[in-house]
Amino acid sequence: MLQVLDALLKSTLEAAPALVFAALGAVISERAGVVNVGIEGMMRAGAFAAAVAALVMPTPAGVVVGMLAGATLALLHAWLCIRWRADQVVSGMAINLVMLALGTFVLEARFSPNGTPSIAQLDRYLTGVPFIGGFTALTVLALAAPFALHGVIQRTRFGLRLRAAGEKPQAVAAMGVSVSRLRYLAVVCSGLLAGLGGATLSVAVLDRFEHHMPSGLGFMAVAAMVFGRWTPLGAAGAALFFSFGSALRIGLTSSAPGVLEVVPQGFLMALPYLLTLALLAAQKKGAGQAPAALGTPYDPELR
Amino acid sequence: MRRALPSVLSVLIALLVSFIAAAFTLGDLGQAASAYLAMLQGAVGDWPRYFETGNPSTVLRPIGEAGTKAALLTLTGLSVAVAFRVGLFNIGAQGQMVVGALAAAFIGAQLQLPSPLHVTLALLAAALLGSCWALLATGLKLWRGVHEVISTIMLNWVAVSLVENWLVVGPLKATASGTNSLSGTAQIHATAELPRLVADYSRLNLGFFIAVALAVAVTVWMQRTRAGFESRAVGLAPKAAEAAGVPVARRVLQAMAVSGALAGLAGGTLILGTELKYPATLASPYGFDGIAIALIGQGHPLGALGTALVFGALRAGGTHMQLFGVHKSFPELIQGLALLLVAAKLFWERLVAKKPAAGGVT
Repeated sequence: MLQVLDALLKSTLEAAPALVFAALGAVISERAGVVNVGIEGMMRAGAFAAAVAALVMPTPAGVVVGMLAGATLALLHAWLCIRWRADQVVSGMAINLVMLALGTFVLEARFSPNGTPSIAQLDRYLTGVPFIGGFTALTVLALAAPFALHGVIQRTRFGLRLRAAGEKPQAVAAMGVSVSRLRYLAVVCSGLLAGLGGATLSVAVLDRFEHHMPSGLGFMAVAAMVFGRWTPLGAAGAALFFSFGSALRIGLTSSAPGVLEVVPQGFLMALPYLLTLALLAAQKKGAGQAPAALGTPYDPELR
Repeated sequence: MRRALPSVLSVLIALLVSFIAAAFTLGDLGQAASAYLAMLQGAVGDWPRYFETGNPSTVLRPIGEAGTKAALLTLTGLSVAVAFRVGLFNIGAQGQMVVGALAAAFIGAQLQLPSPLHVTLALLAAALLGSCWALLATGLKLWRGVHEVISTIMLNWVAVSLVENWLVVGPLKATASGTNSLSGTAQIHATAELPRLVADYSRLNLGFFIAVALAVAVTVWMQRTRAGFESRAVGLAPKAAEAAGVPVARRVLQAMAVSGALAGLAGGTLILGTELKYPATLASPYGFDGIAIALIGQGHPLGALGTALVFGALRAGGTHMQLFGVHKSFPELIQGLALLLVAAKLFWERLVAKKPAAGGVT
């Protein structure tokens, strides 16, 4: 029994960091009022850049390169949405489409069709120790980051302004603070986190970039953000819950295939999304938790 | 025509940027140029070779492939464009296409009917299921206030999980005959196949004409009928429309039902025209492409048709780029870049506004 729990915990905490980082990235951007459905593309960029960079430099430096790759795409997203008032969903989807194709193209042209060569994974600490051993530093970071972000958003002046930029940007402008700058900063941070999430996949979960990465995890991060009602702790909790769900599913497939005869795997895979939908449907209409100015470009001439 | 300017320029710039990216990645300008030439020949046919050899398949096969892909892109592009008309962003075309494809595969394989009836029934089933899937999200939007972008993204994954990880590998799995193991659902009957137009030379099928006809029909509906006009009012200013007596909820439901049906039909056309069964995974994300097609087409049904023809052709050509070390998904990169460029709304508004003639873009 303990062994089963240990295995479940291990595989949850192995899969969760990528989703947690990406979900936090989604939260920070959307709290500032910029929709970010481009998380999937930014994760893909991060995963690819980290795996390629780690071929020529130490793996932790590769992770940083992955984060920067995500941030670069985020900067593009921010520039289109803020400077050129692009529809934020369109811009995000465009980033997803571009990265999906670009990743495949560069992978095929420069490496093998299936993935990049193997790299050294991040170090794992206390391997062999039950329950708390065998994780990379990223797992620890993923458990601490939600609290840190919660603190920043709820308890600092910067956090207050960030939330205001998402709720009532006119108020921020009236205070003499630049809405654009706040939003740029938030979106770029979002890209850093999404890139980190992607990098986690290629340097900690696996040891290379595979052609299908992150295979929908970015969209699941958006689901986690909504499920967690746009709060860092809620989003991270949802991400952990989703990861636990998939760990349970994978565990069941290997150890008790009989269960899957009764409950088909497809149902279990659809469950996180169905739960998110159910939760949203159950909320009181109009009492949505989304930031009020989410998705609207800031126009200083409007009041 | 003025409305088309941003799109045309965006596609041209995207072609250029992608060329530079290809040359840079391959490290060889000549190779990138050859790859582009191969793409062109794969898109519109290798005419010099046709005149040399007189073999019709050198031009008919590429054009047929282009038409087949353009048909699917047109349908999903129309789907997204129709939803846009009432102000909804249907990111769920992919999920609606998946359930539509499954419905077509099911009817095609499980029923025994005479040909015209069988094809029609399978396509109707695809449209109906796609419609239902879209209405789920619409209902959540109208009555529970759930934003359609979120709900359709969720429903996409629900559709894929349920169809590909349950139905296709479970209840609807093809029974293995003899020693060869099969993946996906059972093969559809010949009576359910969409008729091919020049059977010996290309896979071009009736689906192409269905798509073109629907693009025209949607244009007429949007531009020439009262319902279309009211839908547009709903999309532009829902409160004003309601005050003017437009049945807002009905128009939204109607448009989303059509939107889902079009995406479902794309799935049906894919199965009945080329796949002939629901494969283990429906690898092609035509539903997501529909977003790009509709937006590059400026949300206009004929714009979507034109964009779909261009990118259908480029995609057919994309498979010919493999010889030069360029993956066949390269045209999707061009498409994504074009969408990114089109997205910079204010830029185009200013560019067009600078021109002397009156009548700006709305």
